[in-house]
Amino acid sequence: MRQTTKRSLKLTYDLFSRVKTGDFEYIYRGAFTQNLTRKILSLAESNLQRFVDKSSLQNRIYFIMVEGLQNVTRHQEPTSESKSEHAGIFAIQKVENRYIITTGNTIVNTKVDSLKQRLEKVNNLDREELKKLHREILSTGELSDKGGAGLGLIEMARRSGNRLTFDFEYIDLYWSYFYLQTEIPSRTYTRDAAEELEESNAMRDIKHLNHILDKKDILLNFNGSFNQNNILSLLSIIKGQMRVNKSAKKVYYIMVEMLQNISKHGNFHEENTDGNPGIFYLGQTEDEYVLTSGNYIPTEYVADVKERLDIINDMDNNELNEYFNKILLDQNVIDPKKTGLGFVDMRLKSSRKIAYDFKEIDDKYSFFTLQTSVQIN
Amino acid sequence: MEALIIKATEDTPEIIFDPENEVFEISNVSLPENAIEFYAPVLDWLKKYMKNPLPKTVFNFNIEYLNTASSKQIFELIFLIDKINEHSDVLIRWHYDVIDEDMKSLGVRFTHLVKVKFELVEYEKDEEEEEDDYDFN
Repeated sequence: MRQTTKRSLKLTYDLFSRVKTGDFEYIYRGAFTQNLTRKILSLAESNLQRFVDKSSLQNRIYFIMVEGLQNVTRHQEPTSESKSEHAGIFAIQKVENRYIITTGNTIVNTKVDSLKQRLEKVNNLDREELKKLHREILSTGELSDKGGAGLGLIEMARRSGNRLTFDFEYIDLYWSYFYLQTEIPSRTYTRDAAEELEESNAMRDIKHLNHILDKKDILLNFNGSFNQNNILSLLSIIKGQMRVNKSAKKVYYIMVEMLQNISKHGNFHEENTDGNPGIFYLGQTEDEYVLTSGNYIPTEYVADVKERLDIINDMDNNELNEYFNKILLDQNVIDPKKTGLGFVDMRLKSSRKIAYDFKEIDDKYSFFTLQTSVQIN
Repeated sequence: MEALIIKATEDTPEIIFDPENEVFEISNVSLPENAIEFYAPVLDWLKKYMKNPLPKTVFNFNIEYLNTASSKQIFELIFLIDKINEHSDVLIRWHYDVIDEDMKSLGVRFTHLVKVKFELVEYEKDEEEEEDDYDFN
């Protein structure tokens, strides 16, 4: 059996602690299809419903997500290079009362200038001018070759009530990477210097994060409250994204255990009525999928959980199977969640040892990171 | 005896235990957060059925995904079915997708733990029918 490397276990808490309790961050990297887009939207939606009271605001956020996702889907260049630095990205972040939506995709260098000009044009118009331009394009029917006409950009600017933040990153002679960021709720059009700075920080932040995720081959990262609704949405994204094969099935099974682990056991001193704070990310290397979860646990439980994990990690296949059967047959065990059955199952399905880490956070709580992987066949 | 019919949800299976029509089937996914609560009425129903079962009962387990909490409860069901088997003719058909080796091994595991006749039924899913892609425009 292979030992899952501990290399990225420290990263988990760093990523997790980027997001304050009550906020969330959801990032998807990879190829975008309409089917997947729908699933991403439903996940974002179920998160929004819990935070956003005003349905008008919810609608605006939703609209901008749809538009952004469509942009990526439509404009992702059919590149033969499957390099992960070419992967499209969609991110939605809730930072206190701001919602930041970022998309990213590759673009051929020859198109950069014209896109930049269009973005600058949109950014220089005020609300009335945007409305007028919108009407003009609709009536002249002037469409771009991708059917966009820049209408999407105009609508995004209108609905967010904000300037569009963008950035182009040079990849190589042929490609650049295009980031587009929108922030909601709107602020006034006249922005002060502090706001401008904050805006550029949000862009720098997501670019930095995308580079980390790229380096670690992370495809999907959810950082926020875990409840059954979110879990089902995350699972359906995985189901929609992966080819149905042996490895995908295993990833799915293990994900279920990891995610439900967080929603059942992960807790923190703050009242969490609609889920427990945690993080889950899925990475893909050449030969395996790597699954990582992180959540708080009371420090007083750490010794027990650690002991159980060590015992289970030391078992060979026969012992794991015997242990599994014993719990099934034990009539005194009504609820198996305290028996470590989930860990045993994880080991059997992954054929790997479970990597883990505990980090003390304060006098009461620790952060528990769990990682395993599934071979790609 | 009145049939037990539970409709599937996004995370719980469809259950049809219908003696009159001789249909006994659990299908879809089983990923409830609280598996004990979900399976309690199913176990209760089986305990009643056990008292006066049909001469022959075939239980079809056709589950696509399940969490470990559910596997314990599913085993509780199988444990009861094993008892029904003591005084009537019972067969369990355990269906699994050909690519799902874990669902297969769970079935195999159960066969070692009970006496009731078990049939492992492998199926091959057609090319996953792509859900309709609709346009947002």
